[in-house]
Amino acid sequence: DALLGCHRSYRSRPTHGIGKFKYLLPKEAPKTRKGKVQMKEIDTGTEYQYGDVNIQMTSYDLCLVEHFAQYVHRLCNRLSIRVNESYAMPTKTNEVLFMEERGSKMQLDAVLTTHQRVVQIRSLSSTFAPILLEVIQSSQPEGVHLLMKQHTEADFKSRLKSRPELEELLAEMS
Amino acid sequence: SAAAPRPWRLFGAMCLLRLPRITQPLEKVEEEMAALMEQIELEKSHYSDHEIRKLEEEEQLKRKKESLYDEDEARGKAVIMAQDLEEKWEQKFLQFKAAPRITDADKRNDRTSLSRKLDSNLMLLVKQKIGNQELWLLPQVEWQPGETLRSTAERAMATFLGDHIQAKVLGNAPYGIYKYKFPRAIRTENNVGAKVFFFKAFLQSSDLSQAELKADYLWVTKKELGDYLKSEYLKKVNRFLLD
Repeated sequence: DALLGCHRSYRSRPTHGIGKFKYLLPKEAPKTRKGKVQMKEIDTGTEYQYGDVNIQMTSYDLCLVEHFAQYVHRLCNRLSIRVNESYAMPTKTNEVLFMEERGSKMQLDAVLTTHQRVVQIRSLSSTFAPILLEVIQSSQPEGVHLLMKQHTEADFKSRLKSRPELEELLAEMS
Repeated sequence: SAAAPRPWRLFGAMCLLRLPRITQPLEKVEEEMAALMEQIELEKSHYSDHEIRKLEEEEQLKRKKESLYDEDEARGKAVIMAQDLEEKWEQKFLQFKAAPRITDADKRNDRTSLSRKLDSNLMLLVKQKIGNQELWLLPQVEWQPGETLRSTAERAMATFLGDHIQAKVLGNAPYGIYKYKFPRAIRTENNVGAKVFFFKAFLQSSDLSQAELKADYLWVTKKELGDYLKSEYLKKVNRFLLD
């Protein structure tokens, strides 16, 4: 109790500021509000390591895709592969219209939603990569498309929303 | 000792895999679990739009039958009832015919066709003549100095299946190695034995329209490998095969 008690050290006393410790810690860089720029990419150099690799899973069935993404994430954890991020791309809705041309033209609608999950992996050694690919491919569920590719700027930019007003103002200025 | 005291002859072999097309059937425990989870989810879930609409229309019909309300008829909402939609969908579903899981090739047990076991990996085995014997092996070809082992394996694939196969070779590193010494009769100073390096590749397309050259070939699952391969060879090959 004595430790938790509130002892106010007065400013005139020599014990003023006795509990301060933050000045001892190393300075942290201030957090930028913009989305963080991508990390450097290591290509297959002398170390035979892939840089950032994206595993993209797309399907119409939401539960299936999410569970598969979870499974891949856990698999990488167990195999001690570093997972940078595991995020979801926005879902795309497709409307399917049937045009029956027997007699009256009827339009039957069906609404399909396509979901996409991405698991980003770092520092994958090139001797291990084909084994990982084979394991994931053999445990792929039905109806799920798998795509493994290296992370590029275009992939990073596709997650960000474009701001048309800002672009207009920039165009007016220049 | 000198540079190459016991030179071994090097071979590159290709293990061509055809990936499974269908998932394997669930085990009993898995099936029971899946049924239980479905039941729990069904009981916990809320009604969807379609079901709410259906219930409302049923109530309207009941009310109409018991006491004729003119208000409901005056609205003239439902041109197409939810029940009709359901019946239409059911009819469409009955028209849909799924492809069979057990194909003809399964029934005939024809091991040369690719459409055999659709739920497991199939591997290519070829009959090759080594020394005096004709053995069933993964297609292999001798390494020539100046080319990588991976290209040797690709050449092996090409000699047995023709040039234009869409196969994706996995990585530059071999998956396994089998070495054996020649019998004493053939052994010379320079040729003690042979080492075979295995590479893996996935078959992308399922059409093999190019005629298979000379030798007999088989597409075999992992369990059936034991029927054809020798025990030592089989042991080394089994090490890098996933089921």
